[in-house]
Amino acid sequence: MMRSLTRAAFGVTLLALSGCQFFKSEERVIVQKGYRGTAMEINYVARDVNAAMNDLARQMPAILPPASESSPPPQWQNVQVLNDISVSEFNRTMLSFSTWVGGNPGNCAYCHNIANFAADTYPDGKAIYTKTVARRMIQMTRQINSEWTEHVGNTGVTCYTCHMGKPLPNGLWFYTNENQILRHYLDGAGARVVSQSITPSNANRSSVKQTEWTYALMISQSTALGVNCTFCHNSRQFSSWDQAPPQRVTAHVGIQMLRDVNTNYLAPLASVYHPSRLGTMGDAPKAQCVTCHNGVNKPLYGFAMAKHYPALWGTHTDWVTPAAPAYTRPPAVVMDSAMVMMDSATMAAPVAPTTPPPGR
Amino acid sequence: MLEYQNLFTRVQVRTTADPGLPIDETFGQRYGTGVFSYWAGKFGDSQIGPIYLGFWGIVSLLTGFIAFEIIGLNMMYQVGWSPVEFVRQLPWLALEPPSPEYGIRIPPLMKGGWYLIAGFFLSVAVATWWIRTYTRARALGMGTHLAWAFGSAIFLFSTFFFQPLLVGSFSEMVPFGLFPHLDWTAAFSIRYGNLYYNPFHALSIAFLYGSVLLFAMHAATILAVSRLGGEREIEQITDRGTAAERSQIFWRWTMGFNATMESIHRWAWWFATLVTFTGGIGILLTGTVVDNWYLWAVKHGVAPVYPAQNVLTQEQLEALRGQYPSALNRGFPTYTVPAPATPMVDSTAAAAPAPGGM
Repeated sequence: MMRSLTRAAFGVTLLALSGCQFFKSEERVIVQKGYRGTAMEINYVARDVNAAMNDLARQMPAILPPASESSPPPQWQNVQVLNDISVSEFNRTMLSFSTWVGGNPGNCAYCHNIANFAADTYPDGKAIYTKTVARRMIQMTRQINSEWTEHVGNTGVTCYTCHMGKPLPNGLWFYTNENQILRHYLDGAGARVVSQSITPSNANRSSVKQTEWTYALMISQSTALGVNCTFCHNSRQFSSWDQAPPQRVTAHVGIQMLRDVNTNYLAPLASVYHPSRLGTMGDAPKAQCVTCHNGVNKPLYGFAMAKHYPALWGTHTDWVTPAAPAYTRPPAVVMDSAMVMMDSATMAAPVAPTTPPPGR
Repeated sequence: MLEYQNLFTRVQVRTTADPGLPIDETFGQRYGTGVFSYWAGKFGDSQIGPIYLGFWGIVSLLTGFIAFEIIGLNMMYQVGWSPVEFVRQLPWLALEPPSPEYGIRIPPLMKGGWYLIAGFFLSVAVATWWIRTYTRARALGMGTHLAWAFGSAIFLFSTFFFQPLLVGSFSEMVPFGLFPHLDWTAAFSIRYGNLYYNPFHALSIAFLYGSVLLFAMHAATILAVSRLGGEREIEQITDRGTAAERSQIFWRWTMGFNATMESIHRWAWWFATLVTFTGGIGILLTGTVVDNWYLWAVKHGVAPVYPAQNVLTQEQLEALRGQYPSALNRGFPTYTVPAPATPMVDSTAAAAPAPGGM
C-alpha cells in the first residue's frame, strides 16, 4: 500500500514537472542576446505577450483620422504651445488629449473653462492648474520626441504612453527619505559602486549599503521594463560596458532623459499643482522608468503612436506661463564635486583626480 | 537492550530514563530526569533530557536571548509596535549596521548602536556555546572534534566583523534580518566585482558540495548495510563485520577505491570544516587585498574573454568619463527638505476689491 502510494505520488510529480515544460515548450520563446554560455537571453511566453498586446489594443483609443485642412495657423487667443499647427490639426490633437488624459473624448472640462476655452481661470477666477500643467507637458513631449531620440528612437511618445487614459500616470514618486533611490532620477548621484582596479584604493570607497541602493534602483528598472539583468548587463561584471548589450546605452540615455524631465518639467510644477497633488514634503509628482514603460521594455509594445500626431514633434518652445513663480530646486549638499551628475552639461566633466588626499 | 536506533526503527524502548555518565558537577549540573516522547522516537532517541546547562550554557542562553530581544524589539519599533505588521513584514525587517559615515566609530543607539550591542551579545553567546561544546566533550572523555568544527564556522562568523574593521567601516557588517542578510550577500558580491571569481569562495563552494556528496554517499551506504548491523560503525572500525566488508566492497567495485569505516568520517569532518574556513579567508581578502575579483580573475587568466557586445561611440565614452566614484563617502547626497510649495496664485483675489470697499 505504502509503496504504491509512493509510486503514484512520484508519478504525479513527474507528470506535473514535465507537463509545464511539455505544454508550454512551443509557446516559450528564448532569444540569445549575448555570447554563448553567458546565459544572456530574453525568455518569454509568446501566448502571454500576445494576450497582453491584444488587451492593450482593445483599450487603446483609435488613431483619429488625419486632419484634412492645412491652413496656416490662425491668430490664436492665448495658445502658447500648439500655435504652429493648423486649426484642424489643433482640434484633432486637443480631442486626442481629452481621451488620452481626460479618460473620454470630449472631456474638455478637465483642462478648460468650457465657457471660455482661452481662459486660464475658471469662471470664479480660480486658476485651472490642469491647463498649465498640460501646457508644460506638451512642451515636455516635444522635448522628448525631438531631443531624446537616442532613447525614444523614431517611435516617440504621446500623452497616452504614460497616461493611458488616466489623469495620473503610473509610478509617480515623491520625496521620502535621504536614501531614496529614485532621487537618482532627479538630483541623486553615485550609482556606480564597482571598482575599476584590482586592489583597493581611495578611488572607490563605495559601501555595501550603497551597493544595495544601486541594486534596488536597478531592480526598479528591471521590473519597470519586464526584463532581467542580462537585458542590459553581462551579469558576471555589471560595470563592464563592452560586455553589455547595446540596450544598456539606451537605458543610460533614458536616465539622463528622466533627469531632464524631472528637473526641468515635473519638479518645477510644484508651485502650479493643487496642494492635494503634492507629496508630504511639498514636492511635485515625478516620473520613473515604469511611468512610461508600464512593465514592457518598449512602451505600448513598440506601437508607433506619436507619428500620427505631428503636433507632438514641433520645436521646443520656452515656458512663458506667467502664473507660476520661479521654482528653486532644493540645494543638494554634495560630498564631492566629481559626483555631481545633474545634467548633460556636467556629464562631460573631466576625470576626477584619483590621488589620495594628503595624510592618508 | 536495543541501543542502536535509526529513522526506520519501529521499536521504541520504554524503561527507566538513562541519566548518563557520572561527572563532576561542581560547576554545573544536569537538570531533569528524562522523559520519553513517541514523536522524538520517530526521528531519534525517544528519551528527552536530562540537560546539562552549567555556567557557560547559562551565559550563552542569556546573551543569546538578549541579542534576540534587541533585534526583535528594534524590529517592533520599526513597525510602530504593531504585532500584525511585525508578522506581516518580518521577512523584510532588519536591525541594520551603522551608516558608512560613522566608519569604525560608535554611532548613536538608534543609528547602529543597537546593532553593535546585539552583535556583541550574539558573539558572546556563540563563544560561550563553543566553550560548552569543548567542556562537555572533555567531561565525557571525548575528543574535541565538534568544538573545532564549530570553531571553523565561528571563524567565518568573526570575519564579518574583522573584514569591516579592516576596511574601516562597520557599515559593511551583515544586517540582522531574513531577506536583508540575503540582500547583503548579493550586494557584497556586486560591490567587490563578483565574488564567484574569488578563489577562496570557489574552494568553499567545492567543499560545501563535496560535503553534501560525501554525506549522501556515506548515509546511503550505512543505511543500505544497516540490515547487517552497519550502523554500529565504531565497533566495525576495530572489529570488522560483514556490513563493513560489503559497504567497502561496494565502493571498491563501483569506483575502484573506498574509504574505511573510520576515514569516511575524517573526510566528512575536513570537508565540512573547510567550507567555512576557506570561506572566511575569502571574506578577509575581499576589500582588503582585492577590490574587484572579476578584474583579478582576468589578470590571472581565470575569467574567459568574450568578444565585445557593444562598442561605445566617442561621444558616449566622453559622457561616461569621470562618472566612476572618486572619494565617495555616502553614495547619495545628504538629503535636504525641499522648499515648501508656494500656494496657488488666485488671480481673482488679486483683482477683487479688498473687503471694506477700498
